[in-house]
Amino acid sequence: MVVASAGKRTYRLVRAFAVVAGFLVLFGSGANAASAEEGLSIIASVQNQTVDAGVSQKQPVAGVTITVTTPAGAMIGTGVTDEAGLISFPVPSRDNYIVTLDTATLPNGFTMIDSAKAVSIVSKEDFTTSVKRATFFTGSSNTSTQSLLNRMIQRGADGLRLGLVIAMCAVGLSLIFGTTGLTNFAHGEMVTFGGLMAFLLNVTMGIPLLISAPIVVALGGLFGLALNVFIFGKLRRRGVGLISQLVVSVGLSIVLRNMYLYQFGGRTKPLNDYSQQTVMRLGPTSITPRDLTTAILSLLVLVAVALFIQKSRTGKAIRAVSDNPTLASSTGIDTQRIIRIVWFAGGALAALGGIFRGLDEQVGFEMGSRLVFLMFAAITLGGLGSAFGALVGGVLVGIFVEMASLVVPSELKNAPALLILIIVLVARPQGILGRKQRVG
Amino acid sequence: MDWINIIQNTCKALTGVDAAYFALAAIGLNVQFGYTGLLNFGQAAFMACGAYGVGMTSKYFGIGMWWGLPIGMAFVIVLALLVGIPTLRLRADYLAIVTIALAEMVRLIVRSVRFKQYFGGSDGINGFSLQFRELSPFDPGAQYGFWPLQYSGYTVWTLLVGWVLVAIFATLVYMLMRSPWGRVIKAIREDEDAVRSLGKSVYSYKMQSLMIGGLIGMFSGVVFALDRGSVQPDNYSRDVTFYILTALVLGGVAKVSGSIVGSMLFWGIFVFSDNFLRELTKDEPLKIFGVTVMQKIQVGAINYMLIGVGLMLLMTFRPQGIFGNRKEMALDAR
Repeated sequence: MVVASAGKRTYRLVRAFAVVAGFLVLFGSGANAASAEEGLSIIASVQNQTVDAGVSQKQPVAGVTITVTTPAGAMIGTGVTDEAGLISFPVPSRDNYIVTLDTATLPNGFTMIDSAKAVSIVSKEDFTTSVKRATFFTGSSNTSTQSLLNRMIQRGADGLRLGLVIAMCAVGLSLIFGTTGLTNFAHGEMVTFGGLMAFLLNVTMGIPLLISAPIVVALGGLFGLALNVFIFGKLRRRGVGLISQLVVSVGLSIVLRNMYLYQFGGRTKPLNDYSQQTVMRLGPTSITPRDLTTAILSLLVLVAVALFIQKSRTGKAIRAVSDNPTLASSTGIDTQRIIRIVWFAGGALAALGGIFRGLDEQVGFEMGSRLVFLMFAAITLGGLGSAFGALVGGVLVGIFVEMASLVVPSELKNAPALLILIIVLVARPQGILGRKQRVG
Repeated sequence: MDWINIIQNTCKALTGVDAAYFALAAIGLNVQFGYTGLLNFGQAAFMACGAYGVGMTSKYFGIGMWWGLPIGMAFVIVLALLVGIPTLRLRADYLAIVTIALAEMVRLIVRSVRFKQYFGGSDGINGFSLQFRELSPFDPGAQYGFWPLQYSGYTVWTLLVGWVLVAIFATLVYMLMRSPWGRVIKAIREDEDAVRSLGKSVYSYKMQSLMIGGLIGMFSGVVFALDRGSVQPDNYSRDVTFYILTALVLGGVAKVSGSIVGSMLFWGIFVFSDNFLRELTKDEPLKIFGVTVMQKIQVGAINYMLIGVGLMLLMTFRPQGIFGNRKEMALDAR
């Protein structure tokens, strides 16, 4: 009895937290953007880039003249880069600026990688931090000198990294499907939630990423829980059918995506921490320390998830509910509690995936919905409803998509995933680890 | 607040070309979703087939514009086979996943640099509708109609063609659903196994339904392309299908009149709220208790949020829509 009421109290607490998290999303960044502050500056940086056996090296270039003007042409400042290739210009407000590099002042033998990049435009929307960097690269970019084998190994490594993130996001999608039967088309928006919350804490509020990341993961879990408590749990109780729930999740994804657009704007923005990276060599591949760290962390998290599902009591209960909810509840498993756990875990994993994606690329309001299609390919390949299937499928889809980009133009990079979907559905619709009765 | 302008725009939206092409797409989607229970989330791809069919005739094939119709039909049939063969034997949500993926792929392919010579890249294709313009019996310079519905000659022509096509396909689908074929289709929605036990090939009926719905959707794309005089890849994004679905559910699933009224209402409401919010934020951002709630630039996002909320609420509380019959909304019978 005591346990039950304590459970209820935690549950209420969690609900309150979810509401607070929602408000943070709604009003947090908007309120912050309105306040003006002192000490704004633009730092221009000139770097010479050389590529040596697949590893790119950067050296600062000193003595280059940089000019900052407003779009109307009014002069803000001009100066010459120092030993570190840097020069700082204080600016009066967060506004649009044009940063120009005088190519005539480049040292002998140095050329711009792309002559159009001698001008960098700082836009008002991007001016979110108090210091805005404008980076210019000189030197020749020769990427096609690598052998095919080297490129394949590099792609394979990139694909593994992408696949780990896809797997992390897809586990929740698959578990939610397994336990509730819902095909959640809003799962991509749960990934975006993680990326945007990381941006809010790390960039807008200035909390270091190492501290903000666990908070974001917890918020992501609460967000998933809130979706279950306020929307999908209610629908189940009303007896709304699975197809209708699927369409509701489509509606939800439209709402969330546009809410993000409303709050965040349409541009992609980088996180503050770990955005400057130097590439290092690792065997035959090159990788930044940041990407290596996120890949190892993803792997650890996935192993932990797999162990949890395989070994722990709750994990066994999750698998039991996935197998047969009625039978599971007749053996005394609290199915609603399991479903809440699955939504929480799914939301937390998706948020972590969102942070890693945000570090790897940038944060944007569509970052998750771009990924959702790969997640579906992953769980179809692995077997709908199976957590291990999602892990295996995610990694395979990631590797396949990156490897295919050796042949397919990068703008059509995701097209091979559609091919996987179609081939799997024709040849083995239950996927690698799925069971046949779920299919028909 | 310029109410005259808002009312005029709303009235125009209720009967406009946008409502007509949505109605066509919704009639097609209704054949698949409403009558057969197929979750086609890639109607936008079928619309793109029609639009790119007519667009490519002059730019790529160098033939008359009307060849665009058979070319578009061929595209539709290829796409329908591509998504239908793997998924129509499986549970309903597989079709949803594959169609949504396919629609996104089609959009990426037509806007890609690699295939720019065929599809025009992200600029799309322009200047192919001359043949259609020449057929117009209306004077392009003159104004037609009465307040609040006043249009230039060319718009009257596309409106006429659009709504006549809506009428034709609505009648066709109405008759089709009362035919023996339509009864089988509806029976598949209710109980696939029962139909199979009667010796019907459920798979082939579903495929036919997917193709017929896609072909009607194709005409929607044709009307849209002819009205704008251009084909833009981003007009066929994934979300377009969801807006059409919202219009369909709003009017009523498995009712021909529902698709038409739903599309008209959808655009009426959408344009009204868009115009209203824009007027509200025209001079300064909207503030509630001193907190900036909405700026002019955010109106678009808020409007699309409203569409999503509308779809969620409709699906939860009134899945049969305004005119639909709850008994016909038996998508989850199995």
